[in-house]
Amino acid sequence: MLRLLATIRKEWQLLVRDKTGLTLLFVMPVVLITVMALIQDAPFKDYQEVKFDILTVDNDHGRLGRSIREGLEVGGQFRIIDSLDGQPLTTEKARQLVNDGTYKISIIIPSGATGSIVSNANRIVNDISHRMGMTLALPVKKGSDSLNVVVYFDPAAKKAFKGAIHQAIDNFLTQVETDMLLGRIRQELRSKDTTVTAASDTLPIKLQAVGLKEESTGTGQQIDVISNSVQHNVPAWSIFAMFFIVIPIAGNMIREREDGSLLRMKLIPGSYLEILAGKMLFFVGICVVQFYCMMLVGIYIMPLLDLPRLVMGRDAGATLLVASAIGLAATSYGILIGTLFKTPNQALNFGAISIVILSAIGGIWIPLEIMPMKMQVVGRLSPLSWGLDAINDIYLRNGNIAYVWKNVLRLMLTGLTMLAIAGYVEKRRMN
Amino acid sequence: MAGIVVKDLYKTYKGAEEPTLKGLSFSFREGSIAGLLGPNGAGKTTTISIICGLVRANDGQVLINDMPQDAAHRERIKKLIGVVPQRIALYPQLSAVENLTYFGNLYGFKGKALLQRIMELLEVFGLEKSAHKEIYKYSGGMKRRANIIAAILHNPSLLVLDEPTAGVDVQSRGMILQFLRDYNRQGNSILYTSHLLEEAQSLCEEVVIMDEGQMIVQGNPKELIQSQPTCDNLEDVFLHYTGHALRD
Repeated sequence: MLRLLATIRKEWQLLVRDKTGLTLLFVMPVVLITVMALIQDAPFKDYQEVKFDILTVDNDHGRLGRSIREGLEVGGQFRIIDSLDGQPLTTEKARQLVNDGTYKISIIIPSGATGSIVSNANRIVNDISHRMGMTLALPVKKGSDSLNVVVYFDPAAKKAFKGAIHQAIDNFLTQVETDMLLGRIRQELRSKDTTVTAASDTLPIKLQAVGLKEESTGTGQQIDVISNSVQHNVPAWSIFAMFFIVIPIAGNMIREREDGSLLRMKLIPGSYLEILAGKMLFFVGICVVQFYCMMLVGIYIMPLLDLPRLVMGRDAGATLLVASAIGLAATSYGILIGTLFKTPNQALNFGAISIVILSAIGGIWIPLEIMPMKMQVVGRLSPLSWGLDAINDIYLRNGNIAYVWKNVLRLMLTGLTMLAIAGYVEKRRMN
Repeated sequence: MAGIVVKDLYKTYKGAEEPTLKGLSFSFREGSIAGLLGPNGAGKTTTISIICGLVRANDGQVLINDMPQDAAHRERIKKLIGVVPQRIALYPQLSAVENLTYFGNLYGFKGKALLQRIMELLEVFGLEKSAHKEIYKYSGGMKRRANIIAAILHNPSLLVLDEPTAGVDVQSRGMILQFLRDYNRQGNSILYTSHLLEEAQSLCEEVVIMDEGQMIVQGNPKELIQSQPTCDNLEDVFLHYTGHALRD
């Protein structure tokens, strides 16, 4: 125990005198998570909180135009623009403004669109009446002219975004057509029953017998958190920064080997494992402190920058366990690199580049879910992705140890495997 | 009793074309100051590493105070040996006291007794005024002296030194050599390597000259000089046996 504690104290003494190392471990990550959260705030808000301007040219001036306008405005995500500089928008102007990227979307409602919907509804009601043996002849347009509501998208607009808008407008069209049809049927039924007035009509026809309602997946006591820039970037880049402990650890180990202090330690009676355990405990502790420092930045600094406040879930024990497991994997990786490479330069270059690659494929830069399927499969092999998955389980899904134990186990087993490889390589050096 | 016995030692490193040691044999009696001499690449560091248990020989045997250097005796032998590596095996950012406290703790010493021992040794080596100064601020000679203290904290009965006076000034070298004599007078054995043959001649009771992984000659420096009529000093003897050809 004395050897273990002495090693922890020695590592502490070395770290507090290494101003560059301290900066790398604590200051750089704070800057990194702050910058990344700010940069990625807009893309994260893209479909959640950002208001889009929609150029609307209503050549119909009827119910359909009103309905589409009200439908888009009611969600608060779109702002309808139908005139610019006091001049009503024209189809040509709207198309040009969208094409040159000034606006992202334009909707053109053709002249006579509402009339076409009314005509169609009348045709259906006439048909139903005829089949029921009634004589009814509501006015119907001659021929079957097909009209389209036209949507222009910025050529740079993303596919998912276009799909969402398409879906929304299609819904408004269906809604208007259905409402109109049902209104006509109701009107005709009432005309056949003279005892019913509009005020006493007890036969409301409601379209949606089964509605759609979004609810939180957790219980009522749990926190409802949505993924945003802070919820993604703070844990993700904290894990990235924790893995950067590889650089000081590997450098420390190579220096010890080069200057002979490793040799001196091995010549002292007792197991070297106890010294290694002290070193590991110290650096895992540093990783955990690093993690919580970053979380404090997410909670207290991010709101000062007009970003959302980080929400850490409800299971503090599970969070500590995950942070420790990430620390163990990162520290073991540092020890492995420090054992495999002969010079600090080699270790520094390999360590830094490998962490950048592992983080990129592991969903640190962008969420794994939006990567191509093949990359998702590769990404799931990255220890950084296991760490991030576990943190997301706790922070976003209100998970506990039962949610994260698999990823914790993966991180720990990977750490122990890397230590075993480092031990094997070191032993081979004796031969 | 023989302090160190090396019998038919063979060592070829993995990937090496040539063996480093080719049946090396020698012995030094317990309580002597012995020198292991040889040109670069002779195999001195490999020999010392095998004696200390850091490297395994392919064949042959090493006995330390009649104990074989094997897994069963390694821990006991470690307690007997103190090693002063050629490099300054101390943490440059830590002070002498912090370094020595750490290595003392690894030996199992702690508290006031350890601090007292450290301060005594710092005084012996003239470092008491710089006890709390970081090692990187030390001169070359001061670093060498601190490096020796770290090896004798546990009072080993066999002190192995790899070029302990390389790159130090005359004053520091004199101090280090005097300490080695005094330490030997207390009954401890000393095994030492150096390229400074004049120093080895004045310090050692016995020397082994080795080359290309084999022992060339062993004996008392004075007797070795007398045995060669053309030689006036140990350097002449060394050149006589190892030749003038440059080594890689």
